[in-house]
Amino acid sequence: MKPKMKGLVASVLLALGSSQAHAATQIEWLQWFAAEQNADFYDTIVEEFEAANPDITVKLVTQPFGKVRESIVTNRAIGVGSDVLGLNMPWTSEFLDMKILEPLDEYLARDDKGFEVDRLVQAPIGKINGSTWMVPLNAFPFVMHVNRGLLQKAGFDKAPENWEELKSMAIAISALEDGTSGIGMPFSSQPPANGPILTFLPLLYTAGGRIVDGIEPDFDNPDVVKTLTFLQELNAAGALAPGAASRTGGVDLEEFIAGRTGFLISPAVHARAIVARNPELEYELVRVPVLNKEAYRVHGWELGMAADSKHKEEAWKFISFLMSGDVNGRMAAAASALPGNLDALGEDSGEDPIFTAQRNILENDESVEELRQAPKTVASWSVMTEEIQSMLAGDQTPQQAASRVQARWLELLN
Amino acid sequence: MILKLLRQATPYWFLLPGLFILGTLLSVPLYKVIEYSLYDNVIIEPDPTFVGLQNYADMLGDSGYWSALFNTAVFTIGSVVGHLLVGTILAMLVNADIHPKARTVFRSLLILPWIFTAVVVALNWQLLLNPFGVVNYALQSIGLVSEPLDWLGDPDLAMWSLLIISTWRGYPFIMVSFLSGLQSIPSELYEAADIDGANFFHKFWHVTVPQLKPVIYGVALLDLIWTFQLFPLVWLTTGGGPGRSTEVLSTLTYRLAFVDFEFSRASTAAVTILGISAIFTMLYLINESRNRT
Repeated sequence: MKPKMKGLVASVLLALGSSQAHAATQIEWLQWFAAEQNADFYDTIVEEFEAANPDITVKLVTQPFGKVRESIVTNRAIGVGSDVLGLNMPWTSEFLDMKILEPLDEYLARDDKGFEVDRLVQAPIGKINGSTWMVPLNAFPFVMHVNRGLLQKAGFDKAPENWEELKSMAIAISALEDGTSGIGMPFSSQPPANGPILTFLPLLYTAGGRIVDGIEPDFDNPDVVKTLTFLQELNAAGALAPGAASRTGGVDLEEFIAGRTGFLISPAVHARAIVARNPELEYELVRVPVLNKEAYRVHGWELGMAADSKHKEEAWKFISFLMSGDVNGRMAAAASALPGNLDALGEDSGEDPIFTAQRNILENDESVEELRQAPKTVASWSVMTEEIQSMLAGDQTPQQAASRVQARWLELLN
Repeated sequence: MILKLLRQATPYWFLLPGLFILGTLLSVPLYKVIEYSLYDNVIIEPDPTFVGLQNYADMLGDSGYWSALFNTAVFTIGSVVGHLLVGTILAMLVNADIHPKARTVFRSLLILPWIFTAVVVALNWQLLLNPFGVVNYALQSIGLVSEPLDWLGDPDLAMWSLLIISTWRGYPFIMVSFLSGLQSIPSELYEAADIDGANFFHKFWHVTVPQLKPVIYGVALLDLIWTFQLFPLVWLTTGGGPGRSTEVLSTLTYRLAFVDFEFSRASTAAVTILGISAIFTMLYLINESRNRT
């Protein structure tokens, strides 16, 4: 072989060899988190991981929250599912029925992961069917956001602590002037039609109530009826913002940010948007007013792994990276939430009053998460929404609404 | 002989790629949806069971389906009538003999609703119809209502509101189609009618409508087909609510598929939409072939 030809062959072999050596495994991460925050921040996190793991690349797939659930199901059905999944706890039961999720017990038992299991927020890692299916990227309680300016204008100097105070203050704020309302209730049928779990459940939990008994629907119990009656009383007294049946969660948040409602019950993660969008608002974050139990609906962004992923080891490596102290802390801070890994709690974060208020709620009140095991959860929201709409329109009593939801929910299961 | 046959077949060879792509894109999804409707429950179950026409029987006994079918009929007929009325009036106005520049401006402005996406239309109308929105403010200011109305949240008003929104969104297509029809009517017919002493309504009824008849029928059928299966506008504006007062077949199908994860039942509802749309399409094609002959 001539020297020139030898050189050419060697170059080709070298190029092939080097390309083989650098062929990285690509994993896909489907989530909505980057859509709700700074997408660049997520790109940076992915780049950090790839720099530390040159044999793995991560394809970040970002979709709106309302789209992710159906994408997980349909992508998996046609065999193009992602490896790492952003999850919402209420989706758990139906995803387990469809065998979408990989049990994480074996991975969590390993020593080389970047976090301690007993330092994670516990609600998402509780076992269902004998296994753990997700880990918490972050956590936040459902809270009440308060417009102190409107509250003071209505003659009150502190936020409501119980249902009676909430009612009287909301009525007073609604009576202030045209365009102000005490509290908004987002019971629109528009997707995801999740108003009941945003506002009704947090109130119900402070009455010690639940909507699920084990894994069975239990909507027609006295605590549910009591909470529905409270909503009806607020409505009858003019304390609710008009148009609850066409009000979406997004509109509810926007109306509060614009300073037109006195109170907003929603995830604490909204605090950052409220403060950033309207710095003039005299804002305070408090626990949801209590009937007889200091309890809160715990929520968060979770991570899981697809059961049919072909790159489970790489996917776990990435999850482990996201859950490690430093990274998890930064991701939680970016979302104004508590980290899923409690070792990532910073010492200086206690200076922020919003963060301190959240932390106090998380540390002192009872956390409730019952939607992970609830059957047909998402479909049940629509049913609750429709029956509550009908109740607020005066077409049925709270007891009838509760019974109708229970009957329709059971019907969904058959 | 063979060469002659090959030469005659040449045009069909050119058609083949297009026919293949169209056939694949249309027939495969169509076949899958029909197939899914015969199983229980596809996608969710790894091994779905063949149930024949059971899903169809279940659907016919489901009051939710009949309610959605009724709402679809109301929404479709109401929308098409709205499109035709508003489209006809505006087509005649923008066909009027006014300053050409003014005419161009009006034509451009009036066609705008057509170019907005359903998301933009839905969001804008939600803001307009909000209890604190412009519409309620205007109605309260002139004393027509004392309390703000929840246009999209009141079961008695929601369908009417949807019809207004749908009419606003859909009239430009009719307007443009009728405008081209109006411009093709010979002016001699109107001159003859003038000589006979016909007034505006006489001319409209005895000259304009007969001359536009082929266009009206074709365009109305086309509008019927499109509106019958309209999904995004309804879903993004009311989500089928409040309750199920604005639930139409397309939103029911979506709800069954992506909220309830009942893909077989969703496919069954989709097949019925397909069947009804196919009837409208046949009528349209028959009308088109009649016009050609």
